[in-house]
Amino acid sequence: MAVIEVSRVSKRFKTYDRKEGVWGGIQNLVRRNPREVRAVDDVSFSVDPGEMVGYIGANGAGKSTTIKMLTGILVPSSGSIRANGYVPYLDRHQYTRGIGVVFGQRTQLWWDIAVVESFQLLKRIYDISDRTFEEQLEIFDAVLNLKPLLHTPVRKLSLGERMRCDLAAAFLHRPRIVFLDEPTIGLDVVAKENIRQFLKRINAELQVTVVLTTHDLSDIEELCRRVLIIDRGHLLFDGSLEDLRGRFECKSQIVFELREPAQVDFGRLGFNSSVEFQQLDALRCQAVFDKKQVASAELIKAIVNSLAVRDVTLDDTTIEEIVREIYSRGEVASS
Amino acid sequence: MTVSPYIAFARIAFLKILAYRLRYYTGILTYMVNVSVYYFIWKALYQGKESLGEFTFEEMITYVSVGFIIRTFYFNNIDREIANDILLGHIAAKMTRPVNYQWMNIAQAAGESFFRLFMFTIPTALAILVVFPLRAPASPYSALAFVAALFFSFLIFAALNFLVGTCAVYLHSILGLIRAKYFLVEILSGLLIPISFFPDTLAQISRWLPFQLISFTPLMIYMGKYQGEQLVISFLSGLGWTLVLVGLGHWFWRKAATKLTVQGG
Repeated sequence: MAVIEVSRVSKRFKTYDRKEGVWGGIQNLVRRNPREVRAVDDVSFSVDPGEMVGYIGANGAGKSTTIKMLTGILVPSSGSIRANGYVPYLDRHQYTRGIGVVFGQRTQLWWDIAVVESFQLLKRIYDISDRTFEEQLEIFDAVLNLKPLLHTPVRKLSLGERMRCDLAAAFLHRPRIVFLDEPTIGLDVVAKENIRQFLKRINAELQVTVVLTTHDLSDIEELCRRVLIIDRGHLLFDGSLEDLRGRFECKSQIVFELREPAQVDFGRLGFNSSVEFQQLDALRCQAVFDKKQVASAELIKAIVNSLAVRDVTLDDTTIEEIVREIYSRGEVASS
Repeated sequence: MTVSPYIAFARIAFLKILAYRLRYYTGILTYMVNVSVYYFIWKALYQGKESLGEFTFEEMITYVSVGFIIRTFYFNNIDREIANDILLGHIAAKMTRPVNYQWMNIAQAAGESFFRLFMFTIPTALAILVVFPLRAPASPYSALAFVAALFFSFLIFAALNFLVGTCAVYLHSILGLIRAKYFLVEILSGLLIPISFFPDTLAQISRWLPFQLISFTPLMIYMGKYQGEQLVISFLSGLGWTLVLVGLGHWFWRKAATKLTVQGG
């Protein structure tokens, strides 16, 4: 049974084109040009309990709009959403008891008061028992090292510290689903790693369903088995990371460096049809190939055996490149 | 609806404002200046006259001073805060909590008012009392009724502000609206001039509006001019208007929430 069921959801906004300049400004007073923007267009997917799903897309692709519909803030223009047994925007009060939300760009905590006061307030809002509250804090403290932060006002925390507190706040009431909208935005490597560890552990131990959006694809690679890719409102891909890699022609490249300057005759290597060779300069050469057709080990063996090589480096296509490719093409190659 | 989280909201607002308590010391001065200005204006108007309308000079000074003193208690910025929530996008996080947004705002305002009572209202009252000749409440009975009436001042003021704030969902910038409401409330609540001094038509209209319950009604009760039946009517209309305005706010917010667009990502 899916815990989130999104079917054919669209969200349209009406915006007004503004004319520029003084005269344009005066015209705007009288006549406005309405324009309909489809932030999300006919998107369907479902998420199973305990899954950790990455939702990625460029700026303005419709990620946040989707998250806001899933959390009951925005009402879909058409289509239907069911999550945790509720229609989010209709049963907002009941529904929000069972979810946790983090918007990475702004804090959910109360700005001027100590973190622990915010937690106390959440305890009251969600009616968390003393025991659960203590237990949860212990779990969070073990991974996120929260205790030193508890008595500081939120406004005095660094971004990384604040995010740790925000995450703890989102999981405090043991929600069944947690939505994280760019939880690692603006964080340094250490802070990111902290947060990923936390998410992995909490997802495994508490069986929380997590939907997270991010720009940082290494988040996805580390955390999510499944990705959804959205671009300009359309869902372009829904599947596992391996699947994404598989569907994409996985171009790999090998760069090798010769011992001494030479003009290489690539024909000798015997991969003419399947590998694209190129001499970059006097010393360095490049071989671009498809991993599905050519085993990199074979290719490297051939190169090392037939040429006097000093160094060989192998580059795999990163998810990042795949995604960049998808954005530029606007569709996923079907195979 | 469970009450507990709303008490917690009030408590948070109290703590929050405690962090910025310095702001209130200058507030006391502002109110002193306000009262002084009206003192001298009324002094000039009463020149050579025993009384104006139903007020003696001493009563009028009491009316104005107590009016400003209670304003330090019932006043809040719910409208501004909602507009900020919407304009800056904080509304998103607040909507993902299982709380009633209207009650959350009113509860926070209550926490703030509770704080104001001790840190603002009482010091302002003492400062004014030292300088100007104020009358005590007409009777212990009036004093008690006056305190009760202040609850309606707070609730009606808060409910009105919530309605104005909610307009931000549609209008985005409501600074103009907030200012207009500000002056409307100052006049029609009887803060600046007793409603009985209004031209007849306006006075008649005002009696059918909720604004008088914010300032004029509690002050009349304080001075013992509302008693018996008049008192009962005041409380009934306080209760009625509170229900109407809170209900209207509830309905309006529900309607507006479906039209929300969240600013900034």
